[in-house]
Amino acid sequence: MSINLNDLLRKYKSHPYEDHEILAPHTGVVKFKVEEGQAVKGPSGQWLHRPGTLLYILEREKNPKRITSRFDGIVTDLRVDLDGKFVEAGQPLMLIRHRLNKQEITNRILKEVLHIFPAPERARYFFTPETSTKIEKGKAKSLSVKTGDEIVIMSLMKRDTILNYEGPSGVLYEVYFKNGDILEQGAPLFGVCLPERLPFVEKVIQRIKTEWDD
Amino acid sequence: MKKEKVLIANRGEIAIRIMKACNELGLDYVVVYTKEDRASGHVKKALKERGSQAVYRISSYKDPNEIFSVADHSGATAIHPGYGFFSEDFRFARRAALRNRPITFIGPRWEVIRDLGSKINTKRIAKSLRIPVIPGSDEPIYSEIEAETLAEELFLKQKEQGIDKPSILVKASAGGGGMGIEEVNHLDVFRQVYRRIQNYAKRQFGDEGVLIEQCMRDYHHLEVQLLCSQHKEVVHFGTRNCTIQSTGRQKRVEVAPGFDPTIWEYPFDARKVLDDMVKYSIRLAEKVEYDNVGTWEWIVTRDGKPYLLEVNTRIQVENEISACISRISRQRGPVNLIKEQIRSALGEKLNFSQRHVSFEGTSIELRIVAEDVKRGFAPWCGTITRFEFPDEPWVRVYTHVPQDEPYEIPTEYDPNLALVIVWGKDTQEAKKRAKDFISETVIDGKDSRGNGIITNLSYLYEKVDEVLRF
Repeated sequence: MSINLNDLLRKYKSHPYEDHEILAPHTGVVKFKVEEGQAVKGPSGQWLHRPGTLLYILEREKNPKRITSRFDGIVTDLRVDLDGKFVEAGQPLMLIRHRLNKQEITNRILKEVLHIFPAPERARYFFTPETSTKIEKGKAKSLSVKTGDEIVIMSLMKRDTILNYEGPSGVLYEVYFKNGDILEQGAPLFGVCLPERLPFVEKVIQRIKTEWDD
Repeated sequence: MKKEKVLIANRGEIAIRIMKACNELGLDYVVVYTKEDRASGHVKKALKERGSQAVYRISSYKDPNEIFSVADHSGATAIHPGYGFFSEDFRFARRAALRNRPITFIGPRWEVIRDLGSKINTKRIAKSLRIPVIPGSDEPIYSEIEAETLAEELFLKQKEQGIDKPSILVKASAGGGGMGIEEVNHLDVFRQVYRRIQNYAKRQFGDEGVLIEQCMRDYHHLEVQLLCSQHKEVVHFGTRNCTIQSTGRQKRVEVAPGFDPTIWEYPFDARKVLDDMVKYSIRLAEKVEYDNVGTWEWIVTRDGKPYLLEVNTRIQVENEISACISRISRQRGPVNLIKEQIRSALGEKLNFSQRHVSFEGTSIELRIVAEDVKRGFAPWCGTITRFEFPDEPWVRVYTHVPQDEPYEIPTEYDPNLALVIVWGKDTQEAKKRAKDFISETVIDGKDSRGNGIITNLSYLYEKVDEVLRF
């Protein structure tokens, strides 16, 4: 195997951050509830049922929507000039600099270790009903896949195309989208772990657990 | 007309046509667009004509809150839904009419959209008025057993009628525009198709209701264009023939008028059939007190029987071919149905009646689409680098594809590139002009793998010869 786990870990340790741009999800009048440099929390609790820090309120059609942080981090680049103003959908409002945790580092490294099946086009994706049922039951990791299997439906311009898996046989180890998500061309749909790589994958997870400080 | 501001809740070429109609009526307008459409021609035209204050980015064309939010912020007094999106959504039209700050919905009143927006209800009203409709389900079916029973009945009925190859259509009840329809030729495969359509309907429309009806073979697809007002005026603008469609039953070439007995022989009295369709359409419009533009869709079988399919309670893509051959005495030039639609929705009288309307020539619409007709009309995605077409007095071209810079086709929407409206003094001249136009049109582009663009231009060229022939 050509992947050097030490190099990968060193890379992430040197810059363990990710900047998340916070965009207005739709139109409305924005009222900020945080300040530049403020530390914010993402959702918490066993089922992530406790919302994160309130970032801003976006009011549209008399409906105030409370937008909370989805990440732990520090607020930067806050657009205070937009406070109290009508904003359009997609307007950048602030950045949150987030320090990657163990799980996130694991996911990133797994993307480099697993065989990734990418989205062939920018489109909306669904699992086939059979695959979807197994994933919903939490049985993804027991799902073996091989070339030719019908795994995903690509819905492009309202036309459905069944995508046949192409790649090495293995287990469907990670899923990177939810039914109905729109993915960019090349974005990962799912990752397949070859049977001979399973021990290495377990080793990756174990090392990050012991070496990474959250 | 008082100064109104129209919010154009649509995209692409129809948004451009509505902008033009607003300009000609002296009305102000604002447009909306999504991230994917930022390079679209409708955004550029609005920026050029009205500036950034008239252009709003929204999260989705399908989110009513976005439309009303922009309407309020921009001070719009009316919403033009174009076609698709909210054009036939009675809840949206009702919300516009009943909110604290009412906004005029440019379309029929919401009760009419509700009653005719459902194919099933339309069928029921039509039956009560002795208007012929296609045999099949009167309401969405959710039960597989019920669906199979009806399918069996329809097959049996066709055998009794001596139909050689009986078949039925399975349709997504909430579908439209030819999407989510499959044909079944044997009862054995019915269940499989039913489940596929049911799954498709659930994914695309959130409603797994399915309709089943007899599949008519060997027919032409015709339409009757009506314009009505809030003052109980009803005027028709003749018929159109929309038989040339993709395998997914999406229209590609349309012609007005609906038949032309001067160039083709029909196995029935074509003029009588067209007159009957118009008569039936008006009968239904008067019954429901229809009050805006609308299209009555029909199929005509080889034995000359018309069957009402549905009513489209909106302006249609192909409205302009009807407008193009219509003349109103005392008015100069062809009719603009989008302008008339806006005037009617704003409560004005038509200022003319049926006796003032006459027809002149033949008009053909060509829908230029980036698609591979040899692979089941599969949509093509990529970037258009060159788009050139001839400029002639007898043709109008509506496109959102910019001619001065590359344009990436958004994958969220159908890859329609342009609508071409050709007029000729008769059908032969219109056909020749349509073919001349296609021959002189150049479209270049590349997909993400560097392969050249695929369009339906050569398909359209071939199909022009077949128009109006039964």
